[in-house]
Amino acid sequence: MSIVQVSGEGQRRTFDGSQVQSIAEQVFSAMIDDDPSALVLWAGVFPALDDPLEAWVDLTGPWTGRVALTTERATAHDLSRALLGMSPDEPVDDGDVVDAFGEVANVVGGNVKTLLTEVGRLGLPQVAPSAPPMAGNVLHELRMAWRGRPLNIVVTAAE
Amino acid sequence: MLRVLVADDSRVMRQIVIRTLRQAGYDWSVTEAADGAEALAAVRADEPDLVLSDWNMPEMTGIELLRELRAAGFSTPFGFVTSEGSPEMRQSAEQAGALFLIAKPFTAESFRDVIEPVLA
Repeated sequence: MSIVQVSGEGQRRTFDGSQVQSIAEQVFSAMIDDDPSALVLWAGVFPALDDPLEAWVDLTGPWTGRVALTTERATAHDLSRALLGMSPDEPVDDGDVVDAFGEVANVVGGNVKTLLTEVGRLGLPQVAPSAPPMAGNVLHELRMAWRGRPLNIVVTAAE
Repeated sequence: MLRVLVADDSRVMRQIVIRTLRQAGYDWSVTEAADGAEALAAVRADEPDLVLSDWNMPEMTGIELLRELRAAGFSTPFGFVTSEGSPEMRQSAEQAGALFLIAKPFTAESFRDVIEPVLA
């Protein structure tokens, strides 16, 4: 369990990082896989990602930060197919991948937001090979395996 | 057949909402809107029986859409399907006249739980 005191404006909040894993499991189980075992913690050394794609949402207000998911582009394509109920060999275009992977980040971010603060604003999801840098502290990093492939989830508090 | 308007800036999420409606047993006529402004125009043009709307959208948010509709005299049954479900948002939704707020991720069962009372 990782519990971090998060500074807000004139108040301190407790962030329970272990709940991020629970949120991710719920989101993937409800939206993508009926099988809860499809998303588990990565066992062993987390590999460097080949052709990474990052989906993130920024939160602004009394608490400012970011919730970001990163995986390999090929995995993001499979994630999108699964989300859309498509067969594994069905072509999926880049626009749908941006939409689908971004929406996963949006739902994870929206639920993480409830752990952080009851006010503030959730930005629209964005997807790119890498998110623009954000100066701050990593509150929680989850190294997961989705269907055996690496997926990183990071919650960052802006400075 | 009931007519529902699904408003979400994510085409993927609109598809998932529509799929979940079918899984929940609601074989309704569905129209789609990509943001609040588009949804407002759609209701003005042809009022549906129910609006299911995302909260956080470009152009016009879901809560702005609901307030605009009520200000214009539309009492169209309205529910949110959104990635956030804080008590404050639920309170704002209720005060603006929403019947329910479904937080993502959702299931067919969670759709039925909130939609059945509306149909009763």
